[in-house]
Amino acid sequence: MTTKSIVQEFTKGLWDENPVFRQLLGLCPTLAVTGWVINGLAMGLATTFVLIFSSLVISSIKKLIPSQVRIATFIVVIATFVTIADLFLKAYFYQISKALGPYVPLIVVNCIILGRQEAFSSKNSVGRSFIDALGMSSGFILALLVLSSIREILGAGTFLGYKVMGPWFKPWIIMILPPGAFLALGILLGIALHIESKTKSRK
Amino acid sequence: MELVAIFISAILVNNFVLYYFLGICPFLGVSKKIDSALSMGLAVTFVMTITSVVSWAINNWILIPYELDYLKIVSFILVIASLVQLVEMFIRKMSPPLYQALGIYLPLITTNCAIMGLALLAALREYGFAEAVVFGVGSGLGFTLAIVLMAGIREQLDLADVPEPLKGAGIALIVAGIMALGFMAFIGMIR
Amino acid sequence: MSLYSRMVIVLTSVGLISGSFLATVGTLTKEQIALNIQREIEEAIVHVIPGAVRSEKLYEEKDLTIYGGKDGDGALIGFGILAAGVGFQDRIALMLGTNISLTRTKKMRIIEQKETPGLGANIDDEETFLIFWENKDCSEHLSLRKPAVKTPEELSPMEINTITGATISSESVLKIVNSALERARQLIKEGAFQIGEPDDN
Repeated sequence: MTTKSIVQEFTKGLWDENPVFRQLLGLCPTLAVTGWVINGLAMGLATTFVLIFSSLVISSIKKLIPSQVRIATFIVVIATFVTIADLFLKAYFYQISKALGPYVPLIVVNCIILGRQEAFSSKNSVGRSFIDALGMSSGFILALLVLSSIREILGAGTFLGYKVMGPWFKPWIIMILPPGAFLALGILLGIALHIESKTKSRK
Repeated sequence: MELVAIFISAILVNNFVLYYFLGICPFLGVSKKIDSALSMGLAVTFVMTITSVVSWAINNWILIPYELDYLKIVSFILVIASLVQLVEMFIRKMSPPLYQALGIYLPLITTNCAIMGLALLAALREYGFAEAVVFGVGSGLGFTLAIVLMAGIREQLDLADVPEPLKGAGIALIVAGIMALGFMAFIGMIR
Repeated sequence: MSLYSRMVIVLTSVGLISGSFLATVGTLTKEQIALNIQREIEEAIVHVIPGAVRSEKLYEEKDLTIYGGKDGDGALIGFGILAAGVGFQDRIALMLGTNISLTRTKKMRIIEQKETPGLGANIDDEETFLIFWENKDCSEHLSLRKPAVKTPEELSPMEINTITGATISSESVLKIVNSALERARQLIKEGAFQIGEPDDN
């Protein structure tokens, strides 16, 4: 197994191993909060917080954890940071907390986080785990931004609340609703895979 | 009357998969064949009902009276993880072929947002005991309905000519979108 | 050390450390969170009862809380009724200001809603919906005017305006208000809470 360079450790999360588009993880929040860009961004940042700190903690204590109880330990660590993120939002960003609703606590079952602990943080140094977490989080935020931009612009004609489409545009409200989320993500996945196969055949 | 409303709305109107986006991973992963979809759905319904009861008990008998609200997320997820473990052992003993069929997806029920989402929503809406049970059963059945319908459609899709990039998850999501559209017709049923 | 005892020790310590961490953060943020919720309600009450500067919770049950709005002299000048119910898509929570005899509405604010953006979601918009709720005669059940009219003057005192294309959301709000008012009237009759209580400072 070749060791990746630090830069590669980071960039793999952006495209090659993008948690949403390539690994198909963390789809629940991706579909749920991407109706509005501000919500997608907030969710991305909250998830980043949980992922980075969980990875740091777990890769620091990995040698102390017997293998049989590792999943339980991962879960407790992740749940702790999710709770902290949730409390922080409720206290200092109340409106956003209301908008994201139960999806912040649901970060605890975001497969991306548990997946990274199992696949990476429990087997790598603290430094590398940090970079990996950073890369995965960035990839996740990227996915959320792309999806929410499409949904908000097409579904409401705004971006971050500011009107970007002229008055001639009749918003496709369906984009902000559940069906729009599924459709947008499905099509984006198709596009991503198409680009991937095109670049592969060129190599 | 209100119990009936909660039950029906959980299955149709606010379907966990098609409205709340909960349970997407198993929804995409296990919905390829109708019988495994059905088994997954029923396993999830079972876990959901018990989770609903246990998390209701923990929330109302321990967390709220002792003002330990900040332990909600940690305690709920630990309960769910343990329950899934128990169900897994039970299925392994009772029906090894079923155990084989469900494979990796059984332990993955733990990270199934649907179960955690169920516990959190029931707590958020301050449901009483009966309401929590009805909500658990209803949401589980709604999940089963969505996943079985999806499996039925995908079994047909296997024979169709899907463009390469869309095969698998892409087309599944598009189908889900159309299903969600269809389910929107149920909105307003609760009047 | 046997594997078993190691497992137990690790799990217990992780649990304890996590627990104490959370207890600390929980206690630090508890006040601010309660404050946020409180502030949202107070702002709503001051908005729906013009002239109110303070509020007091008078009664609370599931999906219905009644606040009293007091002016600068401490006199009770209206009720803020916080009511919730089922909307078209999900839950709707609203704050309705009324006079102390529950016969006239003052203003209304929608606290929580998840209705269809562009249509039902307009129930929280002043110009297209809420303005039609001001100063209505609510001594009996209010009713919905369909099709929608353009100005408040065209409505009779007990009518409120529907939102074109969002009849169900409008009707849901109406239902929540009517049943909340009915319940409030019943509670006053039963003496469930005091009105016109002298301020004790």
